[in-house]
Amino acid sequence: MTAVIQTQNLSKWYGNVLGLSDVTLEIEPGITGILGPNGAGKSTFLKLITGQIKSNIGSVSIMGQPVWNNFPQFSKIGFCPEQDSFYEEMTGWQFLTSLLRLFHLPVAEIEKKADKALDIVELTDDKHRAIRAYSRGMRQRLKVAQSIAHDPQIIILDEPLNGLDPLGRRKIIRLIKEYKGEGRTIIVSSHVLPEIEAMTNQIILIHQGKIFAQGDIHYIRDLIESHPHIISIKCSDPRQLAQKFIRHDFVLKVNFDLKKGTLLVETNNRDKFFGLLPALFVENKIEVEEITSPDDNLQAVFDYLIGK
Amino acid sequence: MTIKERGYTHWDGELQDGRFPWWPITRIGIKLTFKRRFFKFFFAFTLIPALVWLVGIYVSERLEDFKFMMEGETDFLNVNPLYFKTYFTNEFLLFMVVMILVFCGAGLIADDLRHNALQLYFARPLKKRDYLTGKAAVIFFFLFIVTLVPGIVFILFKLIFAGNLQFFFSYPWLILSVIAYSVLITTFFAFYTLLLSSIGKNRRYVAILIFGVYIFSDIFSAIFYEIFRSRYFYLLSIKSNLQQIGAVLFDQKTPWNIPWYYSLLVIVAICVFAAYVLKRKVRGVEIIK
Repeated sequence: MTAVIQTQNLSKWYGNVLGLSDVTLEIEPGITGILGPNGAGKSTFLKLITGQIKSNIGSVSIMGQPVWNNFPQFSKIGFCPEQDSFYEEMTGWQFLTSLLRLFHLPVAEIEKKADKALDIVELTDDKHRAIRAYSRGMRQRLKVAQSIAHDPQIIILDEPLNGLDPLGRRKIIRLIKEYKGEGRTIIVSSHVLPEIEAMTNQIILIHQGKIFAQGDIHYIRDLIESHPHIISIKCSDPRQLAQKFIRHDFVLKVNFDLKKGTLLVETNNRDKFFGLLPALFVENKIEVEEITSPDDNLQAVFDYLIGK
Repeated sequence: MTIKERGYTHWDGELQDGRFPWWPITRIGIKLTFKRRFFKFFFAFTLIPALVWLVGIYVSERLEDFKFMMEGETDFLNVNPLYFKTYFTNEFLLFMVVMILVFCGAGLIADDLRHNALQLYFARPLKKRDYLTGKAAVIFFFLFIVTLVPGIVFILFKLIFAGNLQFFFSYPWLILSVIAYSVLITTFFAFYTLLLSSIGKNRRYVAILIFGVYIFSDIFSAIFYEIFRSRYFYLLSIKSNLQQIGAVLFDQKTPWNIPWYYSLLVIVAICVFAAYVLKRKVRGVEIIK
């Protein structure tokens, strides 16, 4: 399959701060997840490939043509920024139509496209309400609507699931998958691994401005599986539970946090651990108050991978 | 087509000619300004001087009918370049112009910065130049209504009320003066407003700056003049500089005894500085410090 987006030795500095360093990659049609902790360079990468900022070194091309200062190319791209970018006093409809006007489309076409985009993100009923009255989820969906309204071939979504409730997330994920089915290229950035996992298995890992890994998500999943995890369990009888855990070879260590009254279990196989957990609670009649995983975040994974 | 498995259909109509890519920016700027509370009322109020001057033109052609009101004091009703210069450089009009800028200009860039809207604009086929032109055009729209339009209307009505072209042949250059001064004052205030609007995210703060810089430049120039007794301190005043250039353009004596081109230099320098700041401040990505 032909690459839609190609970058060659792409580097960007903000004064002395490194934004992105020597990134060479190719992105094909379908969904590609850009994964990295906050400040890793995801947004810089996205702004470079959308032609909003110029690279210090290297080049970006979209469908074989350079993107920087190549304004006709911008019509092929839909960009959904991470931060809210709304005029609060406008209605959703006004916001969308005013942005569509920048593509110099006929008025009738602008209205048709705005209606279609609002329908896709299920905001038709609220289109004449002021944006200031929109909920977090509605705002997020409106942001997605402005990125798809002009029917772009490439859709770039910067943290589109941020702050959404589970229902809102499901809606956006379903929408992204639908667009994938149409043969478009979709790039989604996130710092939450399960979010990306729900959409695609093609990922790019970015860390400290560099591409850390690129390819199938199962590869990174395997790395994560072998990464020892600590799970904290607050329950009625932590000592009895600890006794049951130490019989299993995937449990590496048990510990007690006396102040919080929690049991800390270190495991190298999360799936087996969580598979066993409900049965242990039920069989031993242990009441659970809370289960958390203090190091289950992307930064911990990156720290582990870099250390490795 | 490089994309395989393409299952969607693109819109296949014809794109309109994008000769004015800045127009959508201007359009939304004008619309949002008219939505501001009290703006319509205020804007109508700023047209009062134009109406008064227009009535003056009418009366000047019917002096016999209005003799009972004039009591011999008719000099101020001589419609000549001084009449126009008085309209364009009077303090009330300049003050109202600044107030219009407070309404229509304060949020032009500041609101975009506050709403992170620049990244949405620049992810579309819109150049920085088009964006700034679109914003400046909002100011041109409102200021031309109180400068250029009344100036041309005055000349037209003078000719209509007089019923002949004598006025035009007496001052054939006057229409050019009206256009030149309107363009100059509007261009300057466009740069001035966009400069101040680009340095803050809060439109109220910017509004105070637009008003404050104009007023305090005048106050400080007067204070320095009183202390040092040098007329060159009037170059610190935005209002005085505009009045100086206005007087020259309407072929009148300058109000301050200093070379008019010094005032022009000050105005041009402010515009150049504004252009430099705008080039640096208006970009699609925030700078990490």
